[in-house]
Amino acid sequence: MSGATLGRGINAFKEVIDAPTAAFFNSCVHCGMCAESCLFFTETRDPKYTPVHKLEPLRKTWWQEYTFLGRISKALGLSKPVTDEELTQWETLVYDSCTLCGRCSMVCPVGNDLTYMIRNMREGMAASGHAPEGLIGATKRAVTIGSPMGVKLPALQAQIRHTEEEIGMTIPVDVEGADYLCTLSSMEIMNFPEFIGAIAKIFKQAGVSWTLSSEAFEATNSGIQIGVSEIAAELVERIVTVAEKLKVKAVISPECGHAYMAIRWEGPNLIGRPYSFKVVHILELLDDLRKQGRLKTSGKETQRLTYHDPCQIARRGGVVEQPRNLLKMVAENFVEMPDTGTMNWCCGAGGGVSAIERADEVKMKAFKRKKAQFDAIQPDALVSACANCRIQLEEGLEENYMDIPVLSLTETIAEHLVAEPQSEARQT
Amino acid sequence: MTAITNDTEFRRQLEGLDYARQRAAARFIEHVLDLCDDERIGRVAKVAANPNASADELATALHSARAAAIDSHARCGADSDWKEQAGYFVARAATAAVSPEGQVAAGPAWQAAMSSRMAQTSMAIETPEDTAGQERLAQYRILSEFLNA
Amino acid sequence: MTETEFLLWVRGPAFQVASIIFVLGVVVRILGTLALGRKADLAEARGSAVAGGMRTIAKRSFPDTGTWKRSTFTLAAGYVFHIGLFITILLFAPHILLFDEVFGVSWPALPTPVVDATAVVTIIALMAILVHRLKDPVLRFLSRFQDYLVWFVTILPLVTGYMAFHRIGLPPPSLIAIHILSVELLMVVFPFTKLIHAFTLFMARYYNGAIAGYKGVKS
Repeated sequence: MSGATLGRGINAFKEVIDAPTAAFFNSCVHCGMCAESCLFFTETRDPKYTPVHKLEPLRKTWWQEYTFLGRISKALGLSKPVTDEELTQWETLVYDSCTLCGRCSMVCPVGNDLTYMIRNMREGMAASGHAPEGLIGATKRAVTIGSPMGVKLPALQAQIRHTEEEIGMTIPVDVEGADYLCTLSSMEIMNFPEFIGAIAKIFKQAGVSWTLSSEAFEATNSGIQIGVSEIAAELVERIVTVAEKLKVKAVISPECGHAYMAIRWEGPNLIGRPYSFKVVHILELLDDLRKQGRLKTSGKETQRLTYHDPCQIARRGGVVEQPRNLLKMVAENFVEMPDTGTMNWCCGAGGGVSAIERADEVKMKAFKRKKAQFDAIQPDALVSACANCRIQLEEGLEENYMDIPVLSLTETIAEHLVAEPQSEARQT
Repeated sequence: MTAITNDTEFRRQLEGLDYARQRAAARFIEHVLDLCDDERIGRVAKVAANPNASADELATALHSARAAAIDSHARCGADSDWKEQAGYFVARAATAAVSPEGQVAAGPAWQAAMSSRMAQTSMAIETPEDTAGQERLAQYRILSEFLNA
Repeated sequence: MTETEFLLWVRGPAFQVASIIFVLGVVVRILGTLALGRKADLAEARGSAVAGGMRTIAKRSFPDTGTWKRSTFTLAAGYVFHIGLFITILLFAPHILLFDEVFGVSWPALPTPVVDATAVVTIIALMAILVHRLKDPVLRFLSRFQDYLVWFVTILPLVTGYMAFHRIGLPPPSLIAIHILSVELLMVVFPFTKLIHAFTLFMARYYNGAIAGYKGVKS
């Protein structure tokens, strides 16, 4: 990021300090309960991972700028402003060991939304040049190439072609007037391209009019994760432009947590205006179809299944009941984990953490919290709705010698669709 | 028997096999082994091809295949390398082939076939060739030979 | 200064100064917080922010089972001393008389022996909390001078009040004067420390619940 200076960073801190932030900092009584709600602390027992401690540079700035005693202290030189060294120290706390999962915000007894503040604090971290390498690279690629992982249109087109062959249906692209514009995360395009076929099959059966876009297919938003609102806004704007151009009624956010947060909740505030279309998470849409009786499935999974709530979709996003309704449609042995729904535990990889190589070790330690949940209920398989969670869960399970598969909810629904009488599949 | 000329027939034939022979039909993986650098996959393919493989051997093979898939997947936010992704899809195919009964909803052989084709697609993303289409034809041939054996 | 002069000073000018600092300090902090403002949310709402805010103000006082298990001491001790402070400050007959004198309102008191016992329990809870703060790794790591100062100015009125009531160590007028002075110390320290949470926590909980409620999440 060009032009990063400490001064710009501190200015960014000042700018994000609003009434809620000040109310939060005023109210913190150092009770330490946020530590016990954060999986990075619970699995390492290192106090530096206490959520409120991650905010210390921001808190200091608030105190020095916006309180009587703080201003006097700063003027008298009794309190020094935040330094570059401090921000260097805080980089691993604010990025490597925080997925913006939101559990601390649910637990703080005085009601502090620490996650909100950490997300905002990243603006200052990035502006002062203290964002991690992996995220900087991803963000640059997102801006210049259109995907944080460098996925270009020809690659997506190849995946689309492959999918069309496999399922014997055409995937609509750039269809003006379609009801839904579906976006995809690069993680899905690269690691779980079956998702494309799954939604195509479901939409065909349910009679949903939809399309992809060749101009704006990327759902994820690195700007949010690194904390540069201008870039986050630019990435959202690309989708908005296409959605308006194709005159769709709604944009679908795929199986990716932060993509949903970005487009559904932060988007309009980033670009400074409300949308002229709706935004739905794929799970919301599927559940609506289920309620309308448009999803016809047969057979049920008999294996013992549990559902991992992606943090940005459930606790921070509000989509909690829908996946359960959908899962119960195709599973006869569904069990909840202890601490579930909006109190479920993070997988440990969101918020940019999985893009930071040096965070690999602490990320795997954090996974032990999930392992403890799985140990408690002994499922045969896990279901989730976020490609990043899936990879993290798979990696964590593998490292802990737990051989249970991780399934996508959407793909599982697609697998259980009642087979339509198909026209002959592609001939050779 | 009729030659397999399309995916509907292909899938029907695969689903007609009983479970152990389905795994054996995962010779599809062997056909794309050269797209994958990970030597674990070669060993997994051999276990998959053995209809008398014990439960223990399958479990070990499954663990290897999963580990190979994890090691080769595209990291979130990292620059994409579709050639390496080909290896990831081969590992996915191998994982499907040695998964326990009932775990792969689409059926292990069908899943292995699809992932193998995806490996070719991946490899060819930088080039305009329709290698995935060729892979599909190769798979029809492999299955026919297997069924006739 | 004689004992009587001291008591008169404590009840007179000192009390006035402390009250002014307290009221002004709290008002300035609260207004200063609100003045920073909050941007309107342009995303399409799924639920009501206001309803969410109100809900969290109430609900945050009743943590879920998992949280209780993980933070049992903090929550239990916290409840004990907060309720203890409420009882000893507001349900003690002599205090209610004072409120009547200053504000013209009064309400029923709890029997004095009950309040007395509560004071003891509260003091014990606060001692346990100090030990916890000194020994727990997270709390030791987080705690600054202010945390210990606040602890001190909170327990002091309880201890001096107990001593005043039981006439321990000094003549009653001096004990009362010291007790009132300890309260004035608390009042003066209040707006500039985390004690302000007594007021701002309503705002914090509200904002938390509003942000979540807007998205349809019960926080």
